[in-house]
Amino acid sequence: MVSYILRRILATVPVMAIVAFFVFSLLYIAPGDPAAVIAGDQASPADVERIRQSLGLDRPFLVQFGSWLWHILHGDLGTSIFTSLPVSSLIAQRIEPTLSLMAITLVLTIVVAVPLGVVAAWKAGSWVDRTIMTFAVFGFSLPVFVVGYLLAYVFALQFEWLPVQGYTPFAKGFWPWLQSLILPAIALGCVYIALIARITRASMLEVLQQDYIRTARAKGLGQRSILFVHALKNAAVPIVTVIGLGIALLIGGAVVTESVFAIPGLGRLTVDAILRRDYPVIQGIVLLFSFLYVLINLMVDVTYTLVDPRIRY
Amino acid sequence: MTVSTTSPMQIPPGLVIAQQLPDLLLPSKVRRGVVGFLRNNPTVAIGGALLLCLVLVGIFAPYLGTVDPTAIAPAKRTRAPSADFWFGTDLLGRDIYSRVLYGARVSLTVGLSVAALASLAGLAIGLVSGFVRWADSVIMRFIDGLMSIPPILLAVALMALTRGSVGNVILAITIAEIPRVSRLVRGVVLSLREQPYVDAATASGTRTPMVILRHILPNTLAPMLVQATYVCASAMIVESILSFIGAGTPPTIPSWGNIMAEGRALWQVKPYMVFFPAAFLSVTVLAVNLVGDGLRDALDPRMAKSL
Repeated sequence: MVSYILRRILATVPVMAIVAFFVFSLLYIAPGDPAAVIAGDQASPADVERIRQSLGLDRPFLVQFGSWLWHILHGDLGTSIFTSLPVSSLIAQRIEPTLSLMAITLVLTIVVAVPLGVVAAWKAGSWVDRTIMTFAVFGFSLPVFVVGYLLAYVFALQFEWLPVQGYTPFAKGFWPWLQSLILPAIALGCVYIALIARITRASMLEVLQQDYIRTARAKGLGQRSILFVHALKNAAVPIVTVIGLGIALLIGGAVVTESVFAIPGLGRLTVDAILRRDYPVIQGIVLLFSFLYVLINLMVDVTYTLVDPRIRY
Repeated sequence: MTVSTTSPMQIPPGLVIAQQLPDLLLPSKVRRGVVGFLRNNPTVAIGGALLLCLVLVGIFAPYLGTVDPTAIAPAKRTRAPSADFWFGTDLLGRDIYSRVLYGARVSLTVGLSVAALASLAGLAIGLVSGFVRWADSVIMRFIDGLMSIPPILLAVALMALTRGSVGNVILAITIAEIPRVSRLVRGVVLSLREQPYVDAATASGTRTPMVILRHILPNTLAPMLVQATYVCASAMIVESILSFIGAGTPPTIPSWGNIMAEGRALWQVKPYMVFFPAAFLSVTVLAVNLVGDGLRDALDPRMAKSL
């Protein structure tokens, strides 16, 4: 298993290299002179020249890519054009709210979606199943900011149960921190819950038709034990896979959720960077999130061997 | 097997005999044609009808009691919904009803264009990847890399480098969606090329391009069509997100994301500024998803059972 894990880690290296190459070459795919685009419409030729120099755009493409990659491998993500601060320290300042939001959403999703999917599969075809699956379709269709505004309007403005906007750092206590993230996490989790519930149901339906489930019933096991111990364990591989892949939804949605709920995280940093055309910051964030995404899916691959001992590599 | 319940034999008390099973071989009523298809698949019908309404709204926006959606009227700022202004007015006094109706054009254009472009590009890449062995590993490594960048962030990065225009939004979202479609087509192609009828065609001397055109392509269309509807729904959501965070359709063009972005500052006191575009967006995406789910159930009965 150790050799399998090592091989999987090594396999992510080329993927990350391609990601880095993409993120870097985006600057050149875009039409026109990248320095002029970043400088904006009101820039003087001197400004454009300054940006060209500071980004090293006057050097050959591969030389630029090489030196950029070299810096990144040393933890240097470049310098923000607007604030002149290192991108890595800008990201470090903003990462806590984003990671908190994503972690709470992930926990909420698993706690809600998996049981919903299991129940839907157990009661397949009944009104319970139909209701859950109808909710799943709505969950897919409601964009994250729509759910966000709706929740904030009802639970924060009308009932005043939870804060409308803003973020309380974890250092100020667990409860205020959690309170500030409940609504954003539900808004962000909607699509994700719909996705995981659907996959759980599909995977469970397949497993519930197997012979050993009939055997378990025949020997008189309780329904709960059959569903959650015997069936869910064997239905876990596709569910875990989709939880990993769904992180992409979570990352994209976090950017929007943060701007709806005024959470000062990486999403807010992205939006500000877009408005200021601060390309090194955008590059750094895209690279970081992609790296996180690859890393999480690497962990998912490794958990296969834990949930399913039949998988041997 | 059926058990006859009409036998004259005496049934001993306490013995339960199975009810007569319905004859599974009875011909079920087959409905044909477009109307028949829609009656058999009510979700497609409902979603399709909703979508048709929205397309008509988009096309005939100028004739539905709207005014110029970009006309600024400072004297009539932030009016609540009333008989004069059905959905109220925004910060610059523009009529939100008109803006929302015209906004349907942007969303539908982006959704349909991205679905079409991403499907075509994905089809081409998937076919090449599924049939040309040496190209497959190279293409798939690139696709893996592209797929590792969350689609919204990829679109954001692309938009940050271009000037905001509907065309660029379509292009950016298309690039972000291509990997998923290519993967799907490649998967279908790889399973199809193992089919005996493809072997038979090859053995009888059909050239590869003809095999692809005659035997592979038609069979990829059903899963592609379903995927295209999901791409369409996702593209409309991404467009609104991009516009909402200021990296999408330029603010001069009314799109649902833009209208919400403009209402964002005041939504706590004037929720209608966000509500109407949000409702239209949700209904549109729901309609497209209903069509997609219905098509999936209709075209792939095997998947319909499980999902």
